[in-house]
Amino acid sequence: MADEDREKPVEDPSVRKGLEMLAELEKGPWPSHVSELKKGTYPIEAYAKGLGQGLPPWFSGSARISCEFTGFIARRTKDGKQTELHFRVYHPSGQFYRTEELRRLLDFADKFGLGSVETVGQTGDLIVPIRPELADPAVDELRALGTDIGGTGDSIRDSAACVGPAMCEYALFDSLAARDFFFRYPAFYDKLSTQLFPFKIKLKFSACPMDCARAVHRADFGFVGYWEGAPEVDQAVLRTKLEANEVSWKGLAAGCPAKAIRWDPAKRELVIDGAKCQKSMNCIRKAFPAIRAGPQRKIAFMVGGHSKGRWGPKMAKPVALLDDYRSAGEFMSRMIDYWSDRSPHKDRLGDLIVKEGFPQMLDRFKDSLPSSPAGKAAGAPRIVTSSVLSEAERAAFAEWADAIAREYEGGG
Amino acid sequence: MAEVDARKPAPTYRLKKNVPVPYTRNLPEIVRRNIGHWVDRKYHGRGIVEHVSDTGDHLFTVKAGGTPNVRFSTETLRKFAQIADDHGVGALRFTRAGSIEILAESLDQALAAKTAIEEIGFFVGGWGPTLWSVGSCTSYLTCTTAVVDAPSITQALYDQLVPYFTGDIPLPSKLRVNVTGCPTACGGLVADIVLVGHYGAAPSFDPDRIRLCLPSSAKTLSTATPEVEMVCPVNAIESFARPDGSVGIRIIEKKCIGCGRCKDVCDHITWDADKVGVSVLIGGKSSNTGVGPTLAQVLVPWIPVRPPRYRETVAVVRKILDLWRANAKPGERVADYVDRVGMKSVFEQLKVPVGRWNRPNQLRTGFGVRQFVSR
Repeated sequence: MADEDREKPVEDPSVRKGLEMLAELEKGPWPSHVSELKKGTYPIEAYAKGLGQGLPPWFSGSARISCEFTGFIARRTKDGKQTELHFRVYHPSGQFYRTEELRRLLDFADKFGLGSVETVGQTGDLIVPIRPELADPAVDELRALGTDIGGTGDSIRDSAACVGPAMCEYALFDSLAARDFFFRYPAFYDKLSTQLFPFKIKLKFSACPMDCARAVHRADFGFVGYWEGAPEVDQAVLRTKLEANEVSWKGLAAGCPAKAIRWDPAKRELVIDGAKCQKSMNCIRKAFPAIRAGPQRKIAFMVGGHSKGRWGPKMAKPVALLDDYRSAGEFMSRMIDYWSDRSPHKDRLGDLIVKEGFPQMLDRFKDSLPSSPAGKAAGAPRIVTSSVLSEAERAAFAEWADAIAREYEGGG
Repeated sequence: MAEVDARKPAPTYRLKKNVPVPYTRNLPEIVRRNIGHWVDRKYHGRGIVEHVSDTGDHLFTVKAGGTPNVRFSTETLRKFAQIADDHGVGALRFTRAGSIEILAESLDQALAAKTAIEEIGFFVGGWGPTLWSVGSCTSYLTCTTAVVDAPSITQALYDQLVPYFTGDIPLPSKLRVNVTGCPTACGGLVADIVLVGHYGAAPSFDPDRIRLCLPSSAKTLSTATPEVEMVCPVNAIESFARPDGSVGIRIIEKKCIGCGRCKDVCDHITWDADKVGVSVLIGGKSSNTGVGPTLAQVLVPWIPVRPPRYRETVAVVRKILDLWRANAKPGERVADYVDRVGMKSVFEQLKVPVGRWNRPNQLRTGFGVRQFVSR
């Protein structure tokens, strides 16, 4: 935006109201997204208009980028005067950026974009607002930097992994290498440019049951590091920790959600019942490395989780315990093909599982697994995050909220 | 709009994506040589973690909280890059929660990085029993379906919750808050407190423009269902033939649950801005600790949203936090606390009016890897 444009008085009353709200949002102690966007050339007046009118300012727009069918999203305002185009840029597994490559990406965002970046989208991707007139050459520039755009619409989205063995001692398999493997897995890689699916497909990889990548809820196919039986206890190392008062056996026993831990006073040993252990990581996190995951390492492979689908948010269902994540490829690609043939637009894989039944779905594809299916699916309630209320109901909840707001007024 | 030169051959090479693999390619040296070698970690305050390797290396991460919807100017990110060069190993990480982690080789370096981060106006914290992050979708910054603006709600929350992030006021356990602008809940339901923007009523539509989302002739209705009708999970949208041969729709308020899937496929679904609000859900979590992974459940189906300071929204979040802080045992996430005392007790303590949309049901548990543990 040129300087003379900025100085023009704002005519639209909702934009004026919105700009006042945005100025208010910059006054607090926490760093503001508004201040950050104002340092670049993001169309801040469109954002202000949204806030001022209480409705999003954007409608679906379009952009012409040769031979690109995923990886960018275009918007326009209702009057067509403002546009917003952004790239979704694949992130490296683990999201480590050396400063020299980060600066090259920032140079890219300055030259082709609006001088701002959303550092992590919902799939971990880097989101860069782009000047529409430079969008086509920007793609090649980005490819020269060793990455690409992708993962929008009804496509295989950018996958994500926890930091894994690169920085975490709890990692039970290389979640980062697993993500890299499926990035290049032919059945998926060949379709990264297409939007030929009923809806989005997400893969997530967590190297231990802490599930930092949110593989249970946020992925159609989730991989979580697992071990069979009890955690392994190095009694000598644990005794040193107990004597140094770093941990107590009482604390470990009381903290175990599965109540699987007891102390054997005769042997002065901690005993963990492998049949009860729920892998909740409590003792391991408190007493690592004296207590660590058991030697029977597996990868829990689950399917059908998501936030956005026909019948609301879901948790993934258990498929199998794998020795190697690579062996899940055929199962996944066959399931995707089946879903693509049957599901209406905007139904997720988890929705198809609801329709067809999970045992039936497993039966159909289990011959492509290296071992027989394992686990017992937990039933889930249907959660509706929205509501359709009468005037009276809204008034009752508003009154309740107002009473609490009055409690906290004046610093609370 | 970009001009595409018709004389040039089409750049079909772009159909093969240039994916950034392998991950080892761009790792800082200290990380590369310690993959799989980490054996311990120590906490230095609430924002610095020391990772100890069996090779003898120590790696420190300094965690700075991100802006709402993690929108950063390139100018600010260059400052972070400079801090990573001056006081670290020349590398940083963007985390899933939207934080920026500077990687350093000594505690002195890490403390210097912390000072430098604070000098540019950011806070260091978010490890252990603290507020890890307030996650936010993009809403009015780019989204077409957002009902309320999550980044500005996030800003209002963060401004009030800073001491919980820095650790100045301790919490019983880790805390995550998610704010999403529409019932799609892009941020997911695996946060301790989730705010979801929604219409508060059945949506309506722009009567002139809705035809852009419908087939032009009613003759097609005998062979196909319009998409905007098909995506509805409760059959609350019905299409019909108008006398002039065009297609119309009606939205049946009695059936509608306000999920917004019709808006996903049609820009011309709209709503009454005076009726919008957020639902407040509690007890979601992703990790397998305590009761294991859970989806947050509705505490209050609707409270008003008033930008820019969101008086009611912020107060209700603080009220929930105060209840949890006062009553949870050390290490109990919100889900663990709710599971122990019962959702009904939480409703009673907060004096929440119970209606059709917020039943005080127990949280459902047993998800994730627990499904593989034989019971």
